[in-house]
Amino acid sequence: MRGRGAKIAGVLPLFMLFIAGTISAFEDIERLRIWPLPAQVSHGGRRMYLSGDFKLVTEGTKYGDTSGILKEGFDRMLSIVRLSHVISGDWNSSGSGGSALLQGLHVIISSSTDELEYGADESYKLVVPSPEKPSYAQLEAKSVYGALHGLQTFSQLCHFNLKKKVIEILMTPWNITDQPRFSYRGLLIDTSRHYLPLPVIKNVIDSMTYAKLNVLHWHIVDTQSFPLEIPSYPKLWNGAYSSSQRYTFEDAAEIVNYAQRRGIHVLAEIDVPGHALSWGKGYPALWPSKNCQEPLDVSNDFTFKVIDGILSDFSKIFKFKFVHLGGDEVNTTCWSATPRIAQWLKKHRMSEGEAYQYFVLRAQKIALSHGYEIINWEETFINFGSKLNSKTVVHNWLNTGLVENVTASGLRCIVSNQENWYLDHIDAPWQGFYANEPLKNITDKKQQSLVLGGEVCMWGEHIDASDIEQTIWPRAAAAAERLWTPYAKLAKNPNKVTTRLAHFRCLLNRRGVAAAPLVGGGRVVPLEPGSCLAQ
Amino acid sequence: MSPNLLRLLSLLMIFISLSITSSLSTPSPADSPPYLWPLPAEFSFGNETLSVDPALTLIIAGNGGGSPIVRAAFERYMGIIFKHASGRASSLLARIRFLRMVEYDITSLKIVVHSDSEELQLGVDESYTLMVSKKNEQSIVGAATIEANTVYGALRGLETFSQLCAFDYLTKSVQIYKAPWYIQDKPRFGYRGLLIDTSRHYLPIDVIKQIIESMSFAKLNVLHWHIVDEQSFPFETPTYPNLWKGAYSRWERYTVEDASEIVRFAKMRGINVMAEVDVPGHAESWGTGYPDLWPSLSCREPLDVTKNFTFDVISGILADMRKIFPFELFHLGGDEVNTDCWKNTTHVKEWLQGRNFTTKDAYKYFVLRAQQIAISKNWTPVNWEETFSSFGKDLDPRTVIQNWLVSDICQKAVAKGFRCIFSNQGYWYLDHLDVPWDKVYNTEPLNGIEDPSLQKLVIGGEVCMWGETADTSVVLQTIWPRAAAAAERMWSTREAVSKGNITLTALPRLHYFRCLLNNRGVPAAPVDNFYARRPPSGPGSCYAQ
Repeated sequence: MRGRGAKIAGVLPLFMLFIAGTISAFEDIERLRIWPLPAQVSHGGRRMYLSGDFKLVTEGTKYGDTSGILKEGFDRMLSIVRLSHVISGDWNSSGSGGSALLQGLHVIISSSTDELEYGADESYKLVVPSPEKPSYAQLEAKSVYGALHGLQTFSQLCHFNLKKKVIEILMTPWNITDQPRFSYRGLLIDTSRHYLPLPVIKNVIDSMTYAKLNVLHWHIVDTQSFPLEIPSYPKLWNGAYSSSQRYTFEDAAEIVNYAQRRGIHVLAEIDVPGHALSWGKGYPALWPSKNCQEPLDVSNDFTFKVIDGILSDFSKIFKFKFVHLGGDEVNTTCWSATPRIAQWLKKHRMSEGEAYQYFVLRAQKIALSHGYEIINWEETFINFGSKLNSKTVVHNWLNTGLVENVTASGLRCIVSNQENWYLDHIDAPWQGFYANEPLKNITDKKQQSLVLGGEVCMWGEHIDASDIEQTIWPRAAAAAERLWTPYAKLAKNPNKVTTRLAHFRCLLNRRGVAAAPLVGGGRVVPLEPGSCLAQ
Repeated sequence: MSPNLLRLLSLLMIFISLSITSSLSTPSPADSPPYLWPLPAEFSFGNETLSVDPALTLIIAGNGGGSPIVRAAFERYMGIIFKHASGRASSLLARIRFLRMVEYDITSLKIVVHSDSEELQLGVDESYTLMVSKKNEQSIVGAATIEANTVYGALRGLETFSQLCAFDYLTKSVQIYKAPWYIQDKPRFGYRGLLIDTSRHYLPIDVIKQIIESMSFAKLNVLHWHIVDEQSFPFETPTYPNLWKGAYSRWERYTVEDASEIVRFAKMRGINVMAEVDVPGHAESWGTGYPDLWPSLSCREPLDVTKNFTFDVISGILADMRKIFPFELFHLGGDEVNTDCWKNTTHVKEWLQGRNFTTKDAYKYFVLRAQQIAISKNWTPVNWEETFSSFGKDLDPRTVIQNWLVSDICQKAVAKGFRCIFSNQGYWYLDHLDVPWDKVYNTEPLNGIEDPSLQKLVIGGEVCMWGETADTSVVLQTIWPRAAAAAERMWSTREAVSKGNITLTALPRLHYFRCLLNNRGVPAAPVDNFYARRPPSGPGSCYAQ
């Protein structure tokens, strides 16, 4: 039935890598197939089976789970473990005398709150006993969100036994102590260049949890469209692509809630004063003029009223301590070219550059008044870094060496250098994502502590609901390990982790995530028939 | 953050072109209707806008109304129709409306199913009637009613109902535009298939389920599961347990229970699963577990025609599969058989000489013997067209011929009294990425067949998603939206899909359907790209790409 005579021939590139791996001490750790690699792991060599009614037990915990976050997380964990095959085996006869049977997971959480706080403890300790020992695995965590990470790790220990048709855990007993290296592990999505439907955003959030990412940076609005409802200024979403490519205020609240219940913060961004043309569809007064529509009119108080209204509305649903105010790629020629604004500049003795600074700082003050700390793209630091509010976090994307300068000046920083961590650069292979070290060239401990973490960016010019997952994954996972795993445990040569990453990619596939093959850059298509593990 | 000037420039170009076409690119269901895909056989509509109660109740009637298939489908579609938080019964807004006693126009959906049989077979009655009208003198309750002979007709009606429902962002409620609606619908062809190939790339269970679910949105009704091929044998066969040693890895396998679950999942959506075991070619992977099936270690395909063991294994596979696949059609492949290995292997060559067989005779012998095995298991055999072109007169008369290669093969097959499935590779092979939607759409399975009694022998068509370059990461976007173009061709009346300028009659609806798929989480690719599954060419509205 096929037009061409395809033959299995060239899985060679990957095989070469496998061989290279075996030659130079195929470390035990790589055989664990946990992604991202935990801080500390030890294991034995025994096999255990999961009981068919594997239970969640919470005796002795201080956490009441009135919100159901733990219970839901546990149920999600079980359903993804059971997703890849029908569990039809008789689990009672699976072990010898039932001793190899795990009855459930005992979760002990010491903090009673389930407020998702930035920088809070995400650590957990997971113990899976050996067949001789008590029949419950144990998961300890300070907060419920640490416990959710522990559940993810547990899910990766579980495999389907093809003979008995039950879930098994190999290499027990397990002893895992884990915590993230960086507190900010982000992924940017862009709903202005292309609208992303709610189920798609939820799928992205779910897939983030598998790699223990914890910040969804939602670049909501840009030049092209304004899809979000802003109750204070109800015409803003007239800038949406169409009447249906929109998010209601309730939709946004639901996304935040959905993410929060999975331990993920949502960082909302409005990018001012550039990248904001779509605002003027509803309120043309925000444009310098009808034919010069960007950046936002710096001379008009109405501009800042609208920003205040947006951030006031934001503060009701986006509970993350940071808001992103953009500030990048501001081309100010429209300001001078518009007589009214040129006059205003003259009156206030401002150059275009000074007006740009004035705009950003005024927007920062508005955000602060709503209780937010601010994140701005790096151009703001480069142009007037000393003027930025001390609560500013500078978001790198353009210049190497920026992180050193920002932290030297005492400001905090998030790393997203485009050559390595921009997912829309589809010629960037996963190895570059893995090798990108946020603390590169930063030796001073205090400066190191100012690097909050990093973020991979999925800009949406060529990304819609049809290709977002395979452009994000598996490359975002490579960055996720860089951000999670202790530096000393990270492979110096990314190719050493190829087998383990291939396993994680296939795990994503089994969970219904359209993660692309590893061989090549981003979003590559398989070139020929072959195993998921070898492509 | 866009990194270079070039990209900015190209973006600017796109803004300019977008602002010119923006009035075209923002369709609303309130504009020119109907945004239904595939287009129903008969419909009429009015000019009213009706609101739909988020607490819509299901009222069942008829002998089959109580079927769990109906109940489960209703729950699924409630999730689809009310996916925005603000439109849902549990939302704050909905509760406020309730307290204020806001009345909705449509408060219940009545589903009448006449037959209590849930048997799903080729040609099952999929017709339905759908009425949506406001409360008035004739009807005391404002309601929607679906009436069907079978539960499967009711499923098709529910899909159409869900396509009438649109979330209105101003009132934050679900609305039906252009009511009252009266739709009387049935498919043109009984067999509307999609092939998936789990040998070239393993597709996880969850992905197969996503594919099945998406098929139901376009009213396709047969999943042709090309399970095994030369590259891998992912399927558990209890009678010959070594066969799945031919899988790519232990993770890339289906258990018997997995397959049954897929069949059950598909049946709940009115979709038959037709399994394929492609013999005697395309079967190299069988020999990983049983090397005796190869002519020799160095010449491994086609299966060894000389051994009874070969036919014992086929019989074992089919016996195991019969317990899993209740559909009356079973595909035995039979395509692209290169018999060189038979000629070049001593014991096979001697066997041929002993029987005075040419290799072509042996090919025929193999296919006919496999047919008899399938028939003995109460299956109707389906074979690829080479079997018909090579020895058509010897095929069992019950055989269904599946076309792929030669454009007029269905014409010839039905002339000989065989039934036929149309899958012309130039148009309906989804792995051919250079076939844009309009070519898919314009392909007519009945071309060149005038006699109505012969037309009846064309049971339908199938789009084929061969898996050489399609794995989990790209399979859905290679299937959609082009499979939808074929789906309308096979469902809607021939007049509806053949008349007029499809850029006006079909394209806006297909754009709309592609965005509907996206909204339901299906990664359907842009419609307008010439090459399939390519990313959008630039920023823009889903409805304009």
